[in-house]
Amino acid sequence: MRPLIRAVVLGLVGYVAGAWLTVAVRGGSPSDDVAVTFGFILGLIGWLMGIGVWNAWAREWFGLPAKPDQATGWQRYLTFNTDHKVIGVQYLVTFITVLLLGGFMALIMRWELANPGQDFLDPDTYNKLMSMHGILMIATAVAGILGAFGNYLVPLMIGARDMAFPRVNAMSFWLIPPVAIGLLSAPLLGSFDSGWTAYPPLSVVNEGGQVLFILAVITFGLSSILGGLNIVTTVATMRAPGMSWGRLPIFVWAAFAASVLSLLITQFFAASLILILLDRAAGTTFFLAEGGGDALLYQHLFWFYSHPAVYIMVLPAFGVMLEIITHLARKPLFAYKVVVAGFWGIVGLSVAVWAHHMFTSGMAESLHAPFMALTEAISIPTGLVFLGALGTLWQGRLQSKTPLWLAFGWLFNFTIGGITGIYLADVATDIHLQDTYFVVAHFHYTIVGGTIFALIAGSYFWFPKITGRMYHERLGKIFAVWLTVGFNLVFIPLFWVGINGMNRRIADYPEFFAGPNAFASVAAYILGAGFLLYAGNLLWSARRGPAADPNPWGARTLEWQLPSPPPEHNFPLLPEVVGHPYDYGIPGSVHVAPMTPEGGEEA
Amino acid sequence: MNDSGGYKRDAIRVGLLWLALVVVLEVVWFSVEILPRQYAEEARIIDDAFNLLTILGIPVFSFVVAMLIYAALRFRSGGDASQDGPPIKTSTPVVVTWLVVTTALAVFILINPGLVGLAELRANPDADLVIEVEGQRWQWVATYPNGAEVRDELVLPVDTRIKFEVTSVDILHSFWVPGFRTKIDAVPGLTTSVYATPTELGSFAEDSALRLQCAELCGIGHARMVMPVRVVEKAEFQAWMADQLTAEAPAAEGRG
Amino acid sequence: MALSAGAAHERAEALSRPRANRLGLWLFFASETFLFAAFISARFVSSGTYKPEELNQPLALFLTVVLLGSSISAYLAETSIAHGNRQGLIRYLSITILLGLAFLVGVGFEFKEAIEYFPPETIYGSNFLALIGLHGFHVFTGVVALAVVLRLGTKGHFEPDDYWGVEGVVKYWHFVDLAWVVIFPTLYLF
Ligand code: HEA
Ligand code: HEA
Ligand code: CUA
Ligand SMILES: [Cu+2]
Repeated sequence: MRPLIRAVVLGLVGYVAGAWLTVAVRGGSPSDDVAVTFGFILGLIGWLMGIGVWNAWAREWFGLPAKPDQATGWQRYLTFNTDHKVIGVQYLVTFITVLLLGGFMALIMRWELANPGQDFLDPDTYNKLMSMHGILMIATAVAGILGAFGNYLVPLMIGARDMAFPRVNAMSFWLIPPVAIGLLSAPLLGSFDSGWTAYPPLSVVNEGGQVLFILAVITFGLSSILGGLNIVTTVATMRAPGMSWGRLPIFVWAAFAASVLSLLITQFFAASLILILLDRAAGTTFFLAEGGGDALLYQHLFWFYSHPAVYIMVLPAFGVMLEIITHLARKPLFAYKVVVAGFWGIVGLSVAVWAHHMFTSGMAESLHAPFMALTEAISIPTGLVFLGALGTLWQGRLQSKTPLWLAFGWLFNFTIGGITGIYLADVATDIHLQDTYFVVAHFHYTIVGGTIFALIAGSYFWFPKITGRMYHERLGKIFAVWLTVGFNLVFIPLFWVGINGMNRRIADYPEFFAGPNAFASVAAYILGAGFLLYAGNLLWSARRGPAADPNPWGARTLEWQLPSPPPEHNFPLLPEVVGHPYDYGIPGSVHVAPMTPEGGEEA
Repeated sequence: MNDSGGYKRDAIRVGLLWLALVVVLEVVWFSVEILPRQYAEEARIIDDAFNLLTILGIPVFSFVVAMLIYAALRFRSGGDASQDGPPIKTSTPVVVTWLVVTTALAVFILINPGLVGLAELRANPDADLVIEVEGQRWQWVATYPNGAEVRDELVLPVDTRIKFEVTSVDILHSFWVPGFRTKIDAVPGLTTSVYATPTELGSFAEDSALRLQCAELCGIGHARMVMPVRVVEKAEFQAWMADQLTAEAPAAEGRG
Repeated sequence: MALSAGAAHERAEALSRPRANRLGLWLFFASETFLFAAFISARFVSSGTYKPEELNQPLALFLTVVLLGSSISAYLAETSIAHGNRQGLIRYLSITILLGLAFLVGVGFEFKEAIEYFPPETIYGSNFLALIGLHGFHVFTGVVALAVVLRLGTKGHFEPDDYWGVEGVVKYWHFVDLAWVVIFPTLYLF
C-alpha cells in the first residue's frame, strides 16, 4: 500500500505545483490549457517517482544503490514490481475493470437511446459519455490482451525468465493508472465531447477536458510504445535454446507482430494530439482554416495510427484464439506458416489503408480507388487466419470447454465484422454508410466480437495457470452462450438502423428507428447482466475454486509444463526446446525436453 | 483415426450444409426489403453495390457457419484430453485453393461493385442545378442560384442533376440525405461537392429518409442539425425558388 | 541439460543482455523516427515547400555545424572510455554538453527572431514552432542524459568492458543530430 499512497500524494503535489507554477509565470487561471498541461506532466512524474521509479531505478542515475520495494503476496500487485507475471495480472485486472466501467457507460447510453426524444441525458452529456465510453474501450482493446497475456505468457512461452527490460515493463503498466485518472477526471474541466477520434476543429474549440484527454492518451501511447519495444526485444533476444522462429507459439508471433506495429505507429497518434494541443495552448493553426491550417491533416495523421491500431487490437486476439483452438481441438495448428505469413501480410497492409475512414471527408478523389483496393486486399491475409482456425477444427477431437465455446462465438462474430468491413471499404456503399450505426455495428463486431471475446476466452483458458485454481465450467459455458447470443441481439438491429439512416453519436433520433433501438437497449441490459456471471465466476473461483492440475488441458506449450502459478523465476532449469509446439497426434513428438532440476522434484 | 473415406464424407456433408445455408440466406435476402426507399439515381447505384456485396458475402459467411455447426456436432470428443486428432499439419492444395478463391473474390468485388460503382457515381461532372450549402453550428443554409438563402427546408426539383457545393463556417459537419445515399463533409476553408439526381417525389413529413442530416459530430446540436428535404415537380420548384426571393426581401428590410 | 537452475539462465542472460540493450535502443530510434516523420510530413502537407524569406540561414548553418561537431566529441568520449581513458571521457563529454547547450541557446535566439516574422498563428510558423520545439526537446533530454553520464563517469562508473551507459547516451546523441540533419533542410532549404 505504501508506494501507492506515496504515488498518489506525489502525483497530486506534482499536479498542483505544475499548474500553479505556470500561473505564477504567465498568469491566467490554473484550469486553462497550458496550466493543466504542465500540471499533468509534473503530476505524472510525481506519480511515477512515488510508485517506485525513484527507488528502483532513478537512484542509479545518481550513482546510488537501487532500493526496490520488497512487498510479497497480493501487496506485490500494488507496487513497482518487475516480475512479468505480476505485471500481466495487473494489466488483466485493470483492463477488465475498465471494460466493466466502459460497459456500464454503454448501458447508460442505451438507456437514453431506448426511445426517441430527450428523456434522460441532455445531448451534451450524452456526447461526453459516448466519447468516454469510446476511448476507455479503445484503450482496453489496444492494451488489454497485449498487456495482460503478452506480459504473462510471452516470456513463459519462449522459455525466458522475464522480459528483456523488466523495469521498463513495470513502468509501462504504471503509466496506465494516470491515463485512467486523467480521462475519468476530465469532467472536472468540462469533459470532452469529440468522440474517441477527437477531430479538430471541434477538439480545438471545445472545453478544457479535451486537454486531459490529449495528455492521457499521449501517456497511454507512451505505455504502448514501451510495451511493444519490450515484447519485440524479448522475443528477438531471449528465446530458450532450440526455440527457433519456426517453433514460436502462435500467440508469441501474434504479440510480436502487434508489438512491431504499436512500437512504430503509435507515434502518429501522439503527434496528431500534440498538434491539437499546440493549436489549443500555443496558438498555432495546424487545423484552423483561419490561419491557413487544414482539418484533414489531422485525419490523415490520426488514421495512419488508428487504422493499424485496430490490428494491434485484433492480432493478439487471433493469437489467443488460435492457441485455444489448437490445444482444445488437439490437432496441429493448420498451416502454421501460412498463418504467420498472414499476420505479417496484415501488418504490412495495415499501414497503407488509413484513408478508408475518409471517403466522405473531402480528401482528393484520386485517393479513393487505391485505398479501396488496399483495404479490400487486407481481407486476404485475414482470411488466412480463418483458414488456420477452421482447418484446425476440422476433424479435431474437440474438448468441450468454455474457451472453445467462446472461440466458436468469436469466429461467428468476426466473420460478420469482417464482411461488413468490406461494405465500408467499398466507396459507393461507404458514402451512404459512413458515420452511421452500420459502422458502429461493424466495429463492435470486430472489437467486441473479435478482441474482447478473445480477452475473455483467454481469461478462462489461462485462469488455472494464473491462479492455480479452476473456474466453474458449467457457469462458464452458460456465460459463453449468454455473451454470444446477447451480443448479437444488441448489434444486429443496429446494422438495420444504420442502413436506414440513423447516424451515430446522437442522443435523439427520428421516431422511425424506435423499435430496433428499444430492442437493442433491452438486449444490452441482458448482455450487461451476463457480465455479473463472468465477474462472479472468476472472482469466486480465484479464491475458492478447486485446485487445478498444472496442465488441465494437456497442452504442449511451455507455460503448461510449469506449476500453477509458475514460480518467481519461471523455470527451474533453462528449458530446451526440441520440437514444434503443436504436434498433437504425432507419436513420440515433444516440444520441450523434460525439465528436472538437480535434486529437485519433478516439474 | 479418420481415414480418407471419413474425410470425404465429412467434406461432402459440410458442403451440403453450406449449400443449404447459402440457398436459405439468399432466398431470405431476396425476399426482405431492408434498404430504405430510393429517392435518387445515386441511391440506385449505391443500393446495387450493397446488394451485390450481400449476395457475395452470404457464401463466405455461410461457409464459416457451416464449418462451425458441423465441427460442433461431429468433432466433439467424447474421450479424455489425451486423445488427439489426426496430425494434419497443413495441406498445400487446401491452402492454394483458399488463397485463389479469396483473392479472386477480393479482386472481383474490387472491380464490381468497387470500381464500377465509383465510375458510375463519377460518370457525369455536369449539373443542371448548383446549390451552395453551408453548415454552421447547428443549422444548414442553402443558397439557390437565384440568390435565395433558405434555412428551414431544402426543396429540390425532381429528375434534375443537382450539385451541392458544401462548406462550413466553423467546424466539421457532414451533408447527408439518407434517401439519396449521398454524403460529403463540410470542411471549413474547403468547398466539397456531391451530386444527387432526385427521381421520386416526397417529403420529410412522409419519410424521415428525406432529411438533410448532419453526419459529423459537431457538439450539442449535432443530432438535431437537420433540414427537411422535399422533392417537387420542376415547375413547382421554379415557382418556389422565385417565391423565396420575394419572401426574403421584406424580411431583410424589416431587419435593416 | 546438466546446468543448474540459476547458473545456466544467468549465463544465457549475460550473453543476451548487450544484444537486448542495443536492439531495444535501435527499436526506440525506429519509433522516434516515426514521431519525427509525423511532424515532418505535417509540415509538407500543410505548407507545401513554402519557406519565408526571413529565415536566418547563416545562423542555422552555424548551428548545424555546432551540432555535428558535438557528435564528433561524443564519439571521442565513447572511444576514450573504451580504451580506459577516463580523463578523455570526462573531457569529451563536457565538450559535448557545452556544444549541446550552445545549440539550444542558438536555436532559442533564432526562434525569438523568427517568431516576429512568422508567428505561430500562420501555418509556416506553426510548423516551425512544432519542429524546432520537438527537436529542441530531444536535444534538451540528450544534454540531461549526458550530464547524468558525466556525473557517473566522474564518480568512477564505467569500465572499458562495461560502458553501456555511455554507449547508449552517445548513440542517442547521434540520433538527435541525425534528426536535425533532416529537419534543417525541411525548414530552411525546401
Ligand atoms: C478490431 C478492430 C477492427 C477490425 C479487425 C476491423 C477490420 C476491418 N475494417 Fe473496420 N473499423 C473498426 C475496427 C476494426 N475494423 C473501428 C473501431 C472503426 C470505426 C472507427 C470510428 O470511426 O470510430 C472501423 C471502421 C471501418 C471503416 C470506416 C468506416 C467509416 O467510417 O466510413 C472501414 C472502411 O473501409 C473499415 C473496414 C474494415 C475492413 C475491410 C476490415 C478487414 O480487416 C476485415 C477482414 C476480415 C474479413 C473479410 C473476414 C474474414 C475473411 C474471410 C473469411 C476470407 C474471405 C473474404 C473475402 C475475400 C471478402 N472499418
Ligand atoms: C472494446 C470496445 C467496446 C466495447 C466492449 C463496447 C461495448 C458496448 N458498446 Fe460501444 N463503442 C466503442 C467500443 C466498445 N463498445 C467505441 C470505440 C465506440 C465509438 C465512440 C465514438 O463514436 O467516439 C462505441 C460506441 C457505442 C455506441 C454508439 C454511440 C453513438 O454513436 O452515439 C453504442 C450505442 O449503442 C455502444 C454500445 C455498446 C454496448 C451496448 C456495449 C456492450 O457490449 C456493453 C456490455 C455491458 C457491460 C460490459 C457492462 C457490465 C457491467 C455491469 C453489469 C456493471 C458493472 C458495474 C460497474 C463497473 C459500476 N457503443
Ligand atoms: Cu453539424 Cu453535426
Ligand atoms: Cu480502418
